Amino acid sequence: MNLGTRKILDRSFTVVGITSIMLMATALLVVVVPIFTGGIGAIYFEGTIEHRKLQYNEFGKGDRGAIERQIAETEPYRNEVFRILDAFGDEMETMEPGEKRNYLSKYKKVRKMLSRLLGPLPGDQKPILLRYQYGSTRWEKAEELLHDLMFVTKWDYSNPDEMAKRYFVPRADEFAGTALASLFLYLENNLEKMLLPERTFYWGFLTDRSLDAHIFGGIWAEIQGTFFLAVGAMLFAFPLGVIAAIYFTEYARDNFFTSILRSANSTLAGVPSIVFGLFGLAFFINTIKVSDSKSVLAGSLTLAIMILPTIIRAAEEAILAVPKTYKEASLALGSTKWRTIVTVILPAALPGIITGGIISLGRAAGETAPIIFTAAVSVGATIGLADVFTMPTPALSWNIYNLASEHEAANEIRHVQYGMVLALISIVLLLNLSAILLRARISKKLKG
Amino acid sequence: MAETTLVGGKKSEAFVLSPEKLRRQRIAKFIGEGFLLTVASFVAIVVLFIFYFVAVDAIPFFQQRGFEEFFTSTGWYPADDPGEFGALAIIYGSGMVTIGSALIAVPLGISAAICLSDVLPFSIRQYAKPVIEMLAAIPSVAYGFFALVIFAPLLQNHGGPILMWAWWLIAGPFVLLAVVVAGDLLTSRQTDESRRKTMRTMLTGVLGVIAVVFLYWVGKTLNAIQILSGTNALNVSLILSFMALPTIVSVSEDSLQAVGRELREGSYALGATRAETLVRTVLPAASSGILAAVILGIMRAIGETMVVWMASGNSSHIPDPWYNYLDSIRTLTATIAGDMGEADQVTGSARYHVLFAMGLLLLVFSFISNLVSERIVIRQRKILSGE
Amino acid sequence: MQMTVEEKDTDKVASKSGATRDIFLPPERQRVRDGGNPHVMAKNFSIFYGDFEAVKKVSADILSKYVTAIIGPSGCGKSTFLRAINRMNDLIPSCYTTGTLMFDGEDIYGRYTDEVQLRKKIGMVFQKPNPFPKSIFDNIAYGPRLHGVKDKKVLEEIVEKSLRKAALWDEVKDRMERNALGLSGGQQQRLCVARTLAVGPEILLLDEPTSALDPKATAKIEDLIEELRGSYTILIVTHNMQQASRVSDYTMFYYEGDLVEYAPTKQLFTNPRDQVTEDYITGRFS
Repeated sequence: MNLGTRKILDRSFTVVGITSIMLMATALLVVVVPIFTGGIGAIYFEGTIEHRKLQYNEFGKGDRGAIERQIAETEPYRNEVFRILDAFGDEMETMEPGEKRNYLSKYKKVRKMLSRLLGPLPGDQKPILLRYQYGSTRWEKAEELLHDLMFVTKWDYSNPDEMAKRYFVPRADEFAGTALASLFLYLENNLEKMLLPERTFYWGFLTDRSLDAHIFGGIWAEIQGTFFLAVGAMLFAFPLGVIAAIYFTEYARDNFFTSILRSANSTLAGVPSIVFGLFGLAFFINTIKVSDSKSVLAGSLTLAIMILPTIIRAAEEAILAVPKTYKEASLALGSTKWRTIVTVILPAALPGIITGGIISLGRAAGETAPIIFTAAVSVGATIGLADVFTMPTPALSWNIYNLASEHEAANEIRHVQYGMVLALISIVLLLNLSAILLRARISKKLKG
Repeated sequence: MAETTLVGGKKSEAFVLSPEKLRRQRIAKFIGEGFLLTVASFVAIVVLFIFYFVAVDAIPFFQQRGFEEFFTSTGWYPADDPGEFGALAIIYGSGMVTIGSALIAVPLGISAAICLSDVLPFSIRQYAKPVIEMLAAIPSVAYGFFALVIFAPLLQNHGGPILMWAWWLIAGPFVLLAVVVAGDLLTSRQTDESRRKTMRTMLTGVLGVIAVVFLYWVGKTLNAIQILSGTNALNVSLILSFMALPTIVSVSEDSLQAVGRELREGSYALGATRAETLVRTVLPAASSGILAAVILGIMRAIGETMVVWMASGNSSHIPDPWYNYLDSIRTLTATIAGDMGEADQVTGSARYHVLFAMGLLLLVFSFISNLVSERIVIRQRKILSGE
Repeated sequence: MQMTVEEKDTDKVASKSGATRDIFLPPERQRVRDGGNPHVMAKNFSIFYGDFEAVKKVSADILSKYVTAIIGPSGCGKSTFLRAINRMNDLIPSCYTTGTLMFDGEDIYGRYTDEVQLRKKIGMVFQKPNPFPKSIFDNIAYGPRLHGVKDKKVLEEIVEKSLRKAALWDEVKDRMERNALGLSGGQQQRLCVARTLAVGPEILLLDEPTSALDPKATAKIEDLIEELRGSYTILIVTHNMQQASRVSDYTMFYYEGDLVEYAPTKQLFTNPRDQVTEDYITGRFS
């Protein structure tokens, strides 16, 4: 081959390698950045007066006087809307039955949308579900609703070869000539004064309980559930893993039995996570019955089994990295093998072992499949520490799936989903970051 | 501490034990090591238990329904009475996303591993490694959320242009590179240097024009594609490949590092370029380790639950045509996760046990791949250490 | 714990001859009190690594309170022999011994021997300084704590005594809580000596203690050995013949696992009996 071509090939080879690394970094950014920006929206957004009302009524947060003053501020504008509605109601009474029926369903739709925007209208019954007791708490949702209220969405099917096209028709046209026609322009111009949006930091998102299946409120129950499950798993897996690692590094002889044990370890590391879930269900719940049905305990045990191989491997590596001279020095001073391990080897290996532990903790916190059948429920109250033996719990990982895929109003609570994903990713990445930093410090320390 | 003296002949504090004390010490040691061994064996016991308990709940299914339907039928109607339990389409779906993700992750992962071990300077490598670790650390449900909520709508609304640009950006450079190499190889018989040069320029030009037209045409075809649903095999394969990448990169890199410097220097000394050294010398020596990495990466993809459950569309049919990655599919893991919610009401029914049968299938597959990759790694270590 | 170092008396001469066999003449240099008894006795003692006989049927007595150097080319079994005395070779799975090795009249490899108690009496300092990654104080106190000393006052006393004996006290007394890894190489090695002394051993095994140190630090260690002579039985493995002749009273020369010659140092270096010894000490091979 020509030397020039060979050089071109060589360069492109390098380029491919660097590109692949950059692709991976880009992939990380592409995944993390939208989740980060979306997740921030759960905490920092333009909250309306409805949000503040809800916060005061449900969580007792906020300044009552200020909220009342603001409500009073919105009253005139809201009353104008109610006045138009009443006027139209009166007008309908005077209509012929046919015409009235024609308007009635459309009018009901408008009223329903208005109540989603502003809260229950005068004359409505007090709704049972909390989600209908308040109007739009978030300004961007209010704007979407306003658009839906202003325009009717229609689909154009005229061209059978293409997908249907969407187009909008002003809703005012439907009520042309009636008292209601003026409502739409009025709403568009004065919605801000009716809802009073303000930039809001809702830190309560992390610490509040959820209200009405996550339509309102925060994700404390999930955060706590994730914490219980992950820490529970560590409580079982960490001591077992470290002891097993001590056996493998200090006591195991090089024989067939040891190689079987090692092989079992890597087999366990390769088992698909959903199979752990099946095993947890079949063994912990159906066979030895650690609890009657799903529980935090059963979930923690299942997760513990899953992270055990990682902990053993990390601990083994950390112990093997301890200079042999420490061991010799200790033994030469007349220390027994076990005391040498406890007083010299383990303390020196501890940072490495903890690094492995932290990474495993992150893994346990992020896993979903093993807890589906063993511990997780979609909607549930925050549980106390005493309930972990008997009660299932909501968890971040499971509820991200559940809210995104199975929630009846999945599209309306995207901000909650994003917030949960951000919370989970932050927990896991912070754990990993601290592990990376810890490891960097250890290697620096070992170098002296 | 007792006083120790050094008077000749006089015995100082005894380092010789009485038989009684020795026996006690031996017993203590035996108990201690026994305890450690028990804990260390715990993992092996757990593995046995997993096989046993999954199999025990899987066997009743095969007793009731036999093997044939499960492996050969595509009819999956577990909720009907009587239900149909043909898992072929589901197994096919699992295979499809696994192969799809391997097609993306393997070339990318291996070139990234080569880059990390041989191309990048150490200072950049230090930052690249944490990126890979972070990629591995992100929970699968977050990837699933990304696939479902962000990527699927994007694919559904702008699928054509995305495919077109991806094709141009990825295939473009490779096709042009192939043109240059082909031009060189086709004229290599020509001995006269100046004639060869003109021939090569002409040939490269002609091939280049053909290549550009080809690239443009395929791109336009892709651009016209309408993707009906963003939750499809392509979406899942792509996301799964991200998840398999860290495993493939780190295991391959270890294997490349295990190939010593001597081998590389030998090749350079013979006048090979870096690419030639890597392709002809280093990669063959590291090939078995890389194969093990690929197997481990594929295992991650096939065992992954949340991404496929959320973003594969969950429709149990074999896509039409069979290679259509833009169609929805369903996988074993997603079926287990999705159906257990209803099936565990009816513990003992075929509907419940079929999910364990699928679990057993996954388990056996992962066990075999693990065993194979372990053997491969051990063999490579032996070869490299010259045994 | 109490140290039992006898005050060194330079004017007195040991009452016993110190030699048990005719070739082991008392050293020309200063004699030590109560020394010269056989402290470690090897009889047909062999050490194997699997099939390989690393030390071949050695018979020798090591005399108490004197400094004995072990020299020989690398791989000759000198370190192996040294490590056999406090059973550090137990760490190597394939290692076993035949013959007898006695310490204080008891078999080191006997059935009822407890190697942990044994190592308390036979301390060892290694080639590379290996302080624990703990504070200086904790390094020295490690051994005494291990053997049951809990009282803080007693511990402090032992630590000071040990550090003084290792000639390190003045350098570190103000920074006892600092990490020992922050000391210089020579200081670390003296710390390791002090750490060993704190357990109250009878024998000190030094395995090429200066091979990782610069000449200045080496000189300090050699001074230290001179200081300790007469208080402890000291065995030092060294590849440096000048060092052996400087610090030791007796010298053993090993070659390919055989104890070729064992004699008072002066005699061995000035008038070696064996041709191989002569070739080695005159530098014909190394």
